[in-house]
Amino acid sequence: MKIVVCIKQVPATNDAKIDPETKRIIREGMKAILNPFDTYAVEEGVQLRDKFGGEVIALSMGPPKAEASLREAISVGVDRAILLSDRAFGGSDTWATSYALAKAIKKIGDIDLVICGKQAIDGDTAQVGPGIAAHLDWLQATYVMAVEEISSSSIRVKRMHEDGYDICEMSFPAVITVVKDINTPRVPSLKGRLASNKCEVPVWKPGDIGADTSKIGLNGSPTRVVKTQPPPPRHTSTKKIEGSSIECAQSLLRELRLRSIV
Amino acid sequence: MIAFTDAKRKEYRNIWVVAEILAGGIQSVTHELTGAARTLADLRKSEVWVVVMGSGIEEKPESLFAYGADVVIVVDHPGLSGFIDETEAKIMKRLIIKYKPEVVICGATTRGRALIPRVSVMTHCGLTADCTGLSIDPENGDLLQTRPAFGGNIMATIRCSNHRPQMATVRPRVMKSPEPDPGRTGRIIKEEMLTSDSEKIKQIIDVFHSTETAYNLADAQIIISGGRGMKGPEGFKLLKQFAQRVGGAAVGASRAAVDSGWIPYAHQVGQTGQTVQTKVYIACGISGQIQHLVGMQSCDLIIAIDKNPDTPMMQIADIAVVGDLFEIIPEIVKGITNL
Amino acid sequence: MIHHIQNKIYHVEVLPPKQDSEKLEKDLERFSNKYLRVMDSGYCACITDNAMGLLSFQGTEIIEELDLPVIPEQVMIHLNTFHTKDDLDNILNICKTKGIRYLLIITGDGSERLPKLHPSDVGATDVESVTSVELLKYINREYPDTFVLGVAFNPYEPEEHELEKMERKIKAGATFIITQPLIERNEIVDRLLEKYPGIPVIVEAWMSRKLHLLSEAVGYEIPENTEFDPISTLKMLHKLYPGCGVYLSLLGFKTQYHLIKDTWV
Repeated sequence: MKIVVCIKQVPATNDAKIDPETKRIIREGMKAILNPFDTYAVEEGVQLRDKFGGEVIALSMGPPKAEASLREAISVGVDRAILLSDRAFGGSDTWATSYALAKAIKKIGDIDLVICGKQAIDGDTAQVGPGIAAHLDWLQATYVMAVEEISSSSIRVKRMHEDGYDICEMSFPAVITVVKDINTPRVPSLKGRLASNKCEVPVWKPGDIGADTSKIGLNGSPTRVVKTQPPPPRHTSTKKIEGSSIECAQSLLRELRLRSIV
Repeated sequence: MIAFTDAKRKEYRNIWVVAEILAGGIQSVTHELTGAARTLADLRKSEVWVVVMGSGIEEKPESLFAYGADVVIVVDHPGLSGFIDETEAKIMKRLIIKYKPEVVICGATTRGRALIPRVSVMTHCGLTADCTGLSIDPENGDLLQTRPAFGGNIMATIRCSNHRPQMATVRPRVMKSPEPDPGRTGRIIKEEMLTSDSEKIKQIIDVFHSTETAYNLADAQIIISGGRGMKGPEGFKLLKQFAQRVGGAAVGASRAAVDSGWIPYAHQVGQTGQTVQTKVYIACGISGQIQHLVGMQSCDLIIAIDKNPDTPMMQIADIAVVGDLFEIIPEIVKGITNL
Repeated sequence: MIHHIQNKIYHVEVLPPKQDSEKLEKDLERFSNKYLRVMDSGYCACITDNAMGLLSFQGTEIIEELDLPVIPEQVMIHLNTFHTKDDLDNILNICKTKGIRYLLIITGDGSERLPKLHPSDVGATDVESVTSVELLKYINREYPDTFVLGVAFNPYEPEEHELEKMERKIKAGATFIITQPLIERNEIVDRLLEKYPGIPVIVEAWMSRKLHLLSEAVGYEIPENTEFDPISTLKMLHKLYPGCGVYLSLLGFKTQYHLIKDTWV
């Protein structure tokens, strides 16, 4: 089985700085981490490889320093890693990102399964996983909380929904996005980390994956961030509710109903 | 990507909503989005269309007219009984090509967030997730989509002028559901599911419904959270009851409660737990140490219930209820049940 | 533990390199130098376990990898509840093999990236979440007579709650106590000492000038421009708590280490 795990390096901090010109996040100088949701994807890839054999490859698109997140994936058991990095990829929205990743997956070749985290904590869009599946015209299953079974040609997964879950089976090749319930990601060991420092991480450019330059980067992105602003201030004063317990309950219920919370 | 010309852009009209159907029923997020679509359509002097895909849809699609729909497209087919992303995406693509909507809005539910990204790639459209505000340029129909980014620290406004349709998802309970107007009428269009829509599909083996707690903290719109003031695991049972009555609410906890062994760590909100930004956060018996506050202070509405009116949590709350939560919460639970 | 106090052995906190370190080799070397210096001084090196939820390498794996000497009386590792069961047993087994006896058992700080022990992992049936109490019970049951187990005491939490927890920790097998950092006399610590006269208590001295870090760490407010001199505060703590040991956190190895030599008199 040949698996690609798509990962993203994201800023760790909550106090993000935004470039006033481009309206994009200034990533320089900010601490970067492997997107927490992606650690579950990496772990699942490694566990499936250990169980069924084959190879698991980590793939990321980002600035050169995103290599660190790929190394982290190697340090917990991924076989090799590839970084898509070039100025031409800059400013990609989820459409262009999933296009570039899909092209890279094609280029790697013979992939059975792509695993993504359910979403990245900086954008929270959850669009790249299904986007990759759409670009490749592969089957997809999102919010996967368990891989139930795998055969040489298909995978059976448990998908989480608001009202419960379902179990579905699809033939390879396929894309899944995984939620936290799926496993417990291991923490890199010192040995693994020291070994990962010695690995080569090849960098692929648009030409390497045969990308149509009109479909990558800002040019390939249908969406534009036109403005960013601080959120409106939360509140000015506290409304105090006092009295007997029954009075308090009734006043609070009124407030909840007023706001259609109950 | 080649931008649409003005003439091509003008071919696209009307505001679409993709309905959320669970177990044959139309979910309230659909009503909320229909209401939001109505406002946009009025500004554009165009129509609201709702796409309903499912199998054996029990609820009459006509009910959507009351919420502001002018047209309901119904695709009712046994092949749509389970959620098969690929099939629904193909149907959506066909309908979009056929009817050319200007805007497509979908609920940011697990299904919506699986379906719409696929459609947006297939139709070459821009898509913005989890919008909290939508407005439209009445002249050219550009959709201005506002959404929080970076843990709610900034609000970004996004536009995709060069392509049509423009797509957005909106979380349940973000938009207010309009008052239904039973007198409104509209048209129903029945569309077929084609065999080509369901080639190479996946098989749904089994479906399990549970209202237990499918919601985790990050996905919940309402969190009911308990601290040291809950006094023990029994207190959290009370909060779970409260959460179930509210519906779709998750139970959170302060570190003090987790460290006392009263509730699993997965529920911990705060610096060393999870950061949440829900619509509503109800803090019960949580004093509000700074480590907890940083994890929840960007929630839209904060309600605190505590005996002590002077805790930091009671100070930052929008609504502070002073009293014994072991008496107040059961009263509220009773009150909700009797609604 | 009592002889640590009688012999005036400082407990010196040594932070292991972080997982996201960009110069890991260098950080390892610095860790090694600090560790060896503590050994040479006859003090006890205390290695933290993902303190503040920041992912770091484990003391045990560093000691193994760098082949650092273990003098049983001079090494203490922190062990918290944010591990997988496999990792926990792995750490305990390395401790056993290497002869590390002193463990500080804490509930610890979580983070998005850290796994958490499940009650079933440590054979606990009566709690929803594993705390230091369950971990103590587990270690005492699975590794009898192997370790000397200590626990933390936080005088900045409500007293009743914290003393009640301490009672459960002691019952679960804790034999020494380390407090959160003190910068002055603390009445709750006084009452702790009164309550447990037979149990060695080590007070923590905050050796960084940056007091705001302390208020972030323990969640208690310290006025921003409070004058703070770590060395004189350390001297004061020795006077206030002559029967207690002292744990030095954030000690400056370049700037302060040479100054502490004669402070414990």
